[in-house]
Amino acid sequence: MFKKLMMMSWRNVMRNKRRTVITGIAIGVGLASLMFSDALFAGMNAHMIESTTRTWMGDAQIHHEGFRETARISLTIDEPAEVESKLSEDSLVVASTGRLISPASLQSAMEMKPITLMGVNHLTENQISMLEVAIDTGSYLSGDSMEIIIGQKLADDMDLGLGDITVITAAMADSGFASRMFMVSGICNFGSDQYDRYTAYVNIESAESLLGLEGELHEIAIRFYDPMIAMDTNLVFWSTFSADSNKADGWPVLAPQIASMLRMVNVSLAIMAAILFGLVLFGIINSLFMSVYERMYEFGVMKAVGTSKLNITAMVLLEAFWLGVVGSILGAAFGFAIIEYYANVGINFGYITISGVMFDKPLCTILDWSRIWIYPVSTLLFTTLAGIYPGIHAGNLNPSEAMRKSL
Amino acid sequence: MSNNKNVIETRGLKKTYEDGGVPVEAVRGIDFTLTKGEFTAIIGPSGSGKTTFLNLMAGLDSPTDGEVELSGNLISKMSGKELSNYRRDHIGFIFQAYNLFPVLTVEENVEYIMLLQGIHKKERHERVMQILEQVELENFAHRLPSKLSGGQQQRVAVARAMVSRPALVIADEPTANLDSKTSGDLLDMMKKLNEETGMTFLFSTHDEIVMKRARKVVTIRDGLLFKSEEEK
Repeated sequence: MFKKLMMMSWRNVMRNKRRTVITGIAIGVGLASLMFSDALFAGMNAHMIESTTRTWMGDAQIHHEGFRETARISLTIDEPAEVESKLSEDSLVVASTGRLISPASLQSAMEMKPITLMGVNHLTENQISMLEVAIDTGSYLSGDSMEIIIGQKLADDMDLGLGDITVITAAMADSGFASRMFMVSGICNFGSDQYDRYTAYVNIESAESLLGLEGELHEIAIRFYDPMIAMDTNLVFWSTFSADSNKADGWPVLAPQIASMLRMVNVSLAIMAAILFGLVLFGIINSLFMSVYERMYEFGVMKAVGTSKLNITAMVLLEAFWLGVVGSILGAAFGFAIIEYYANVGINFGYITISGVMFDKPLCTILDWSRIWIYPVSTLLFTTLAGIYPGIHAGNLNPSEAMRKSL
Repeated sequence: MSNNKNVIETRGLKKTYEDGGVPVEAVRGIDFTLTKGEFTAIIGPSGSGKTTFLNLMAGLDSPTDGEVELSGNLISKMSGKELSNYRRDHIGFIFQAYNLFPVLTVEENVEYIMLLQGIHKKERHERVMQILEQVELENFAHRLPSKLSGGQQQRVAVARAMVSRPALVIADEPTANLDSKTSGDLLDMMKKLNEETGMTFLFSTHDEIVMKRARKVVTIRDGLLFKSEEEK
């Protein structure tokens, strides 16, 4: 009987092809817009994560406990060489680099400004951050102890240019202050005040001698083979590298505003899905009720000859299912096409900043297979569920009332 | 107590409707018996209670009072599901406007009730082809109803009503939409099937063609049976 009901419901759906196509398109447009929104948000999320982790931070960092909160230069990583060695053997880790970080002052012939001094390993830093790529003029660090890279905005503020001499003064780890002369070897432009106006970059050996922290590190920045790994709070990695007084954190902890933004995007998408599914649901209920009322007499005859309430309800549910199949196929085809198109050409929003992340190039959609299938399947499920009410209504029809003009 | 030759029997059957808050006595206590193999017509003007009476006998409506007994079963006391099964297994319906399922072919329409009854596919097919042969539509088995004439559609409806071998076939003005020639042919065919199978037929009609061929004609007026012609 189920096979026959499947066949009858399909033929019933195809009785009014125009209505089926219109309803299918309505479902399809809703589905396609959801799929597209998901892909667009996935693209936005990926851009935000990449921009946050690739610019400077990395996917994870290791510090001495309390360093992130206090920036005290005496809080260096325990056994940094051993930690770096373990990182090089970890299968999740693609690259890592050590850094020394200290508040300092930068002095030119004209003025003095407070900055953050970054001592970086010129050999490994370019595998983690965009420092080398961000060099506008001059060159990246080569290991020379005199080299310093400053941002374009800092250079403008201090009236410094390539080859100019500058002095960095910083507090030493044990006590007292130390100063050291540097020559501007490169000017960078990250597109962010934090890195272009308030930070200066020197070779780590220079920072070590200035701060009196030979062989020490304040920070190890890490790149995983996939930034999303850092979302998993249950990774053994975190406990492994949070031994002794060290603390390993992923980007969701280091940049909580990005993690919050991602949660907000997911909630927005869920709300949007609920609204669209709600509209689709009522649209289908309306369409099915119209179809039931048009065939009232037919349902009366079906009941008169002994068709059970359950079979009639099932037939209307199956009609809803077929409408869902038509709508899901149309929507998925349209959705995939539009996602594929914008994955290649992107959408240009101009220059906008969201949660401190700049969107300065076209935003491309990303098809996330792990979740995109949810939308057509949910559409099919919701559309079928929409048949319950009209189905029960049809099943409960009184045959003599439904066929008032008959017997 | 019913005679075992009786197919259907009503005792003191009453039905009162509310129409705009006013009670309307559509059927006012009818005692009626139909014995096996009868070919009977119920006639009466519009509003006489003819439709209500047939609805009650078919189990499509519940009586306000009185009883309907079909083949020993008191249908006036059945639940909705029991009534549905009762109609499926004991009553064949022929409607005025054919009322075949438009999405099913002739063969599928005829086999539909047997499908509900859970009869095996092979037996269904054999019985469908046999009845289609009897109504001379064996070559139209795979056509949709929309591709048939009115007379042919009504013959399919007759086949559908009879294929499950019900105790009673109820036909509601079966010739109302047909021309005289087609009506005559259809009635001749039904009468022949009645004679061959011994199945009981009950018609509601205004059509003289039906009245002439019926063996017994019952008149209903104002919710009461008041005249029954002798068997021809």
